[in-house]
Amino acid sequence: MISVYYFGAIALILIGLYAILVKKNLLKILIGLSIMETGVNLLLISIGYVSGKSAPILSEGIGPSQAVDPIPQALVLTAIVIGVATTAMALSVAILIYEKYGTLNVEEIRRLRG
Amino acid sequence: MNELIIIIFAPLIAGVIAWALDIKGIRELLGVAGAALPLAYLIKLYPTVDAEGMIQYTLNFAGFTLEFTLTHMSWIFAMIAGVVGLAAVLGMVSTSKNGYEWLFALMSLTGVYGIFIAYDLLGFFIFWEIMTFGSFMMVLKYNREASLKYFVLSVIGAYAMLIAIGIIYAKVGSFSFIEVYRAFSQDAALAAVGSSTLFSRGEIALIFGLFLVAFGVKAGMFPLHVWAPDAYSETNQSYTAMFSGVLSKTGVYGFILIYMLIGYRLLYEFGTIRTVPKFGYIIAFLGGLTIIVGGILAALQEDIRKLFAYSSISQLGYILVGIGVGTALSIEAAIYHAISHALFKGLFFLIVATIIYRTGKTEFKDMGGLAEKMPVTFAMAFVAILSLAGIPPMVGFASKWLIFESVISQNMPILGGMVFFGSAVGFVYLIRFTYAVWFGQRPTDLDDTKDAPLPLAIGMGILAVLNVVFGVAPGLVAQELNKIFGREVIGGTIWELNLGFGKYNGLLLTVWFVVGMLIAAIVYFMGAGVRKVPVTDTYQSGNPVTMEYNLTIRRNFFLPLKEALSFWLRMSFDRFYKDVGKTVEDFAETMRNYVYNGNVQSYAWYLAIVLLILAMWGV
Repeated sequence: MISVYYFGAIALILIGLYAILVKKNLLKILIGLSIMETGVNLLLISIGYVSGKSAPILSEGIGPSQAVDPIPQALVLTAIVIGVATTAMALSVAILIYEKYGTLNVEEIRRLRG
Repeated sequence: MNELIIIIFAPLIAGVIAWALDIKGIRELLGVAGAALPLAYLIKLYPTVDAEGMIQYTLNFAGFTLEFTLTHMSWIFAMIAGVVGLAAVLGMVSTSKNGYEWLFALMSLTGVYGIFIAYDLLGFFIFWEIMTFGSFMMVLKYNREASLKYFVLSVIGAYAMLIAIGIIYAKVGSFSFIEVYRAFSQDAALAAVGSSTLFSRGEIALIFGLFLVAFGVKAGMFPLHVWAPDAYSETNQSYTAMFSGVLSKTGVYGFILIYMLIGYRLLYEFGTIRTVPKFGYIIAFLGGLTIIVGGILAALQEDIRKLFAYSSISQLGYILVGIGVGTALSIEAAIYHAISHALFKGLFFLIVATIIYRTGKTEFKDMGGLAEKMPVTFAMAFVAILSLAGIPPMVGFASKWLIFESVISQNMPILGGMVFFGSAVGFVYLIRFTYAVWFGQRPTDLDDTKDAPLPLAIGMGILAVLNVVFGVAPGLVAQELNKIFGREVIGGTIWELNLGFGKYNGLLLTVWFVVGMLIAAIVYFMGAGVRKVPVTDTYQSGNPVTMEYNLTIRRNFFLPLKEALSFWLRMSFDRFYKDVGKTVEDFAETMRNYVYNGNVQSYAWYLAIVLLILAMWGV
């Protein structure tokens, strides 16, 4: 029985992928990218979960044996930052494209590019 | 320092120094020294080779062992390279413009020596590539397109050879000629008693096919000859004397190597047609086609350089026929023709170099009446024409006669027909060169043409003298060639060739020839009438002809032949290769348009599909 976390995370990735592959509006593609990224982050986090353990912060009463896996959390922290940065850059590119071509439809942009 | 290493590398070192200094006068001196030194050493080593059969040397370099051996056969081939190379280099003293040409001309000479003296497949391949690179650079300087065509075909040949060498090495475990020969003849013996062999039937056929392509390209074998007309004509014409005379012989040498190394196995595996091995028959038949195609195309050329380039291809066909027939006599005849081809074709290209150097023109329509202005060059041309056409007291007759005899004695009617046709078509194009360039009316702008410069004249002189000497005394060469086989394949004295079923006495013929000439001269000086005939009086039969059909020997002389053959001439392998290239280009263009279409979403699709496939595969 597949865990509901995995199922949800992979579903998010596929939804994001669907938007990237099929949608024609640039902003919708970027939204798809964001959703996919969220899905990936959730998947990473859920991989590191050990059922019944608490947050991996060394404090009173919580030793190394009682914490969940800390590595995916560090990875995801990095991935979130990267994701935000790429999204911000992609959005700024989208603004420039709109200024230049007056449309956000990817097919039309290709035609206009000539 | 071993002599073999000096022979191989002296030209390259001289070339590098000449290129680095690049001072007019000194670079010419260095170049001639670099070409003369190996020749001097080869002559010096002859007694040793004659007495001991071979001189060996092993070079250890960066973990590789290269073996060099000077055998009787490689000595003969190296002597071709030495003599014709020296003559061509002397010609270059007059015609070369800069150090660049000296570097690469001498580099290709080094490659040729290396190929002939190398005694393992690895060294053979390395020097093969050095030679190709040097000659490619020589063509590149003059014509980019011609050099690219040469390069692409050479690369195809080189890869074919590399794959074949790779297969042999993988099975035999050695590059050395002796080891390879041993492995293959052992294989043939095993196959004869029906036990399992190292190389299967398919593998041996593959190796043969790959070698056929590799050596065929360099020898200008039909249908791989397309590079040669362009490359031979679009370079320094003095260098072409070496290019056509010597570099093409490496392909010939390669075909002989096939016999030496894997011949037994091929013979056992594929059997014979009558008395000729089947694999050799392929070589011979392609050689025959080469004769015909090269000869006809030579007749239709309007450019002197192209005419001799095609004629060179045609003459190489004879050598391939001789090798293909595969008896001791025919192979000896083929090597004999390789020697005479190098002598007369080297001479021809030096003559062409002189004409172009002095007149600056390359086409028949601009020539005429040069015999009066360039008597020395004309005398050389006379020797070369007689030799190529195969007229008795020249070396060309002796070698062609041997090839005819060897083909006829094996009862091969088709090959015989091809060889005879080639000889006839040889006259067709030579008569044009003879008349259009040397006789007839002289265009006024050629009135102050001077004769050949001294270095070119010396270069031509060396080759012309050898053409005559080996023609009058054909046994000089034949007896040397007999030593390759260790028995008397061609009997007779130095003046006479005796095959048992036919004889040719060079000296006797020369004597009669001279007597005949004397009688003719007496008749002439006794008062034979001389009448001037206008050039345009060729076969017009009294009918006025339109200007575009006004065929003079200088312009469109063989137009009727061209029209008669137009159906066949449409089948050009040159065009076929171009079409293949175009198709590949179109395919790539289609891929670019539909697959790499610049749409990010399609790339995302490719990525998703690939990931899906990988996931299903269970990666």
